[in-house]
Amino acid sequence: MSANELMPGGLSPLASPPARSQLRLAVCLSALLIGALLVAAPYARQPTVNTEALLPAYASAVFVVELLTSALLMALFSVHRSRPILLLAVGYLFSGVMAVPWALTFPGVFDEMMPGDVPQTTASIAAIRRLGFPLFVIGYAVLSDRKFPPGSARRIILLSVAGVLTIVCLVTWVIVSNDDALPKFMIDARNVSGLWRFVPATAIGLYSIGLILLGLRRRSMLDIWLMVVLFTLMIEIMLISYISGAIRLSVGWWAGRFYGLASASLVLLVLLSEATRVHARLALSVLAERRARQNRLTAMEALSASIAHEVNQPLASMVTNASAGLRWLAHDQPRIDEAKAALGRIVLEGHRASKVVTGIRTMFLKGAQEREPLNLNDLIETVLAQCETEARLGRITVSTALANDLPHVVGNPLQLQQVITNLVDNAIDAMRGITDSRRLHFATQCHEFGEVLVVIADNGAGLSAIDKDRIFDPFYTTKPDGMGMGLMFCRTAVEAHGGRLWASDNEPHGAVFQFTLPASLAKPNDAELVR
Amino acid sequence: MSKNGSIVFVVDDDPAMRMSLESLLQSVGHTVAAFETARDFRMAPRPDLPSCLVLDVRLPGQSGLEFQREIGRTASPPPIVFITGHGDVPMSVAAMKAGAVEFLTKPFRDQDLIDGVHRAIELDRRRRAKAAMLAELRERVSTMTPREREILPLVAAGRMNKQIAQALQLSEVTVKVHRAQVMQKLKANSVADLVRIADRLAAIEPEAKMDGTSI
Repeated sequence: MSANELMPGGLSPLASPPARSQLRLAVCLSALLIGALLVAAPYARQPTVNTEALLPAYASAVFVVELLTSALLMALFSVHRSRPILLLAVGYLFSGVMAVPWALTFPGVFDEMMPGDVPQTTASIAAIRRLGFPLFVIGYAVLSDRKFPPGSARRIILLSVAGVLTIVCLVTWVIVSNDDALPKFMIDARNVSGLWRFVPATAIGLYSIGLILLGLRRRSMLDIWLMVVLFTLMIEIMLISYISGAIRLSVGWWAGRFYGLASASLVLLVLLSEATRVHARLALSVLAERRARQNRLTAMEALSASIAHEVNQPLASMVTNASAGLRWLAHDQPRIDEAKAALGRIVLEGHRASKVVTGIRTMFLKGAQEREPLNLNDLIETVLAQCETEARLGRITVSTALANDLPHVVGNPLQLQQVITNLVDNAIDAMRGITDSRRLHFATQCHEFGEVLVVIADNGAGLSAIDKDRIFDPFYTTKPDGMGMGLMFCRTAVEAHGGRLWASDNEPHGAVFQFTLPASLAKPNDAELVR
Repeated sequence: MSKNGSIVFVVDDDPAMRMSLESLLQSVGHTVAAFETARDFRMAPRPDLPSCLVLDVRLPGQSGLEFQREIGRTASPPPIVFITGHGDVPMSVAAMKAGAVEFLTKPFRDQDLIDGVHRAIELDRRRRAKAAMLAELRERVSTMTPREREILPLVAAGRMNKQIAQALQLSEVTVKVHRAQVMQKLKANSVADLVRIADRLAAIEPEAKMDGTSI
């Protein structure tokens, strides 16, 4: 059994529909971010001094966070082999790796290291990075959830990583080496040109498309969190490009940067917490499974021991009777009468053993679906004829009140007969210890809602001392050598026929077992024809 | 094969098994009394005859093993032949340790049961004979006077009349008279006989020996 089948939600909660609590958390977080935006807005245009030194730290944080997110998404992909998740992982990887040349070319950070006209390089890299990521998210939202064939995940991941690295290197090389041909985004190291305006506008457009697509789809929890990410990125771009007046390293610009970092961390945190939760659930389910298997084993042991006992008992008695018969015949004057009695007992015991075997077979019979219209009165008569000897031996008076116009029921005769036999056997057993007259009463009648009701009442020991709810549980028995399967089988069989079985107390003592079965719509005469 | 003068008790809650056991044992000439529960067996009057109990391990209420322990505490319990539905080694070990004669797993060979019952009855017969003999001995001893009881261990120890007289500070003639009385009361034909009887007495009544050696 795979873990997926084990848990209703599947292996990863990320791939499962969003939970209400997660939705609420996402909304709260978005509200908090908007609040932070409002607080930061008045100071947005204020420039900062010498904060270039913070930039490498910021860039490496973004790099590490996005790389980790990508790695976790790749891991998720290797389990699900879902295309959209792979695309998203590639997007994060691309964004993360692109942060490296962006930081390296940033004016005033590693000036002496990088050649060429720095301002345009950084802006171009930033533009590609900023516009690239939402494209990946849109791709994620649009791509159908088709799976790659199993076993290919490892190769695909390696290829994707290699591809992303190659593309980033190529792009960087092209940008750095063709600085003159680049669009003029920047006037100087800190201020943007009019051309730059198109970049945030396009980005906001792409974010909006992504948000709408994800909002329409909302397949999983991951979608919800990606919406929060896009929303945060939108705030970031607004802070960086508009509210801060697009002045680099201003308060608003930095605030936007930290929004970006927060948005990058968001999916990572969600992924990590979900991974932990999955692990916990997995551990729990493994434990539960182990416990269930243990219980099943114990149950099977108990069951097989009971069956062995149930069959062995009549066998032992038959062997002993046969030995006795032989010895009676071997006398100088053979005792025919004794031998005959022994043979008679062997016949009875043979039937008893066969009854046990039949009972077990009926109980486990999967193909008990063969159903036919049948008259429950006939079935009761059959059972009564079978246990007549037993009832006579037990000095039990049997009375019946069977409805003449009883509608037929559709059912498996073998199973239903076994149900009645079990109930009668129980009644006879329960009356063993009764000193006053022992009475077993049968009744059938038309019940409400087109059902047929069967009542089997005894005046035996009754159920008062027994837990009535537990008598239908498997292996619950009050008999010294009972299997605890009889009543469980009865209830299962009756319910499989669309009926109900219940027990109540009889007056002044004893038990009443009643069950209902839905009446067949066919008329009894038709049923006769069918039979 | 005549089994007169013995009885086999059967306790099994399964009526079919009970009847078959009854028939089998009757077919080889045993007198059988069968009971459904251990309680029924305890309640029933038991004739004072060599007997044996064929007991099912799995009984309603009290298990056969518990019952074995219980009747083991009573005076002269009948030896037990156990029968069980499923042979369980620890169970059979426990039963045999507690003195069961045989432990049979159903279905068993009829001869095994019959042999077991036979051995159990013979064991009971011997036990009863021994008990009866000891009871008779005690009876004889009870007729002896304190002086005679003093003399018995000394005679049995092989002391001469003279030595005994000296030890008890009696005249040799008196010792001779007492000694004859002891021989007669214990129905001993010779001194060797008397020594054997004294040994048996010492086994059941250690204080009888104590009296003699304390002097």
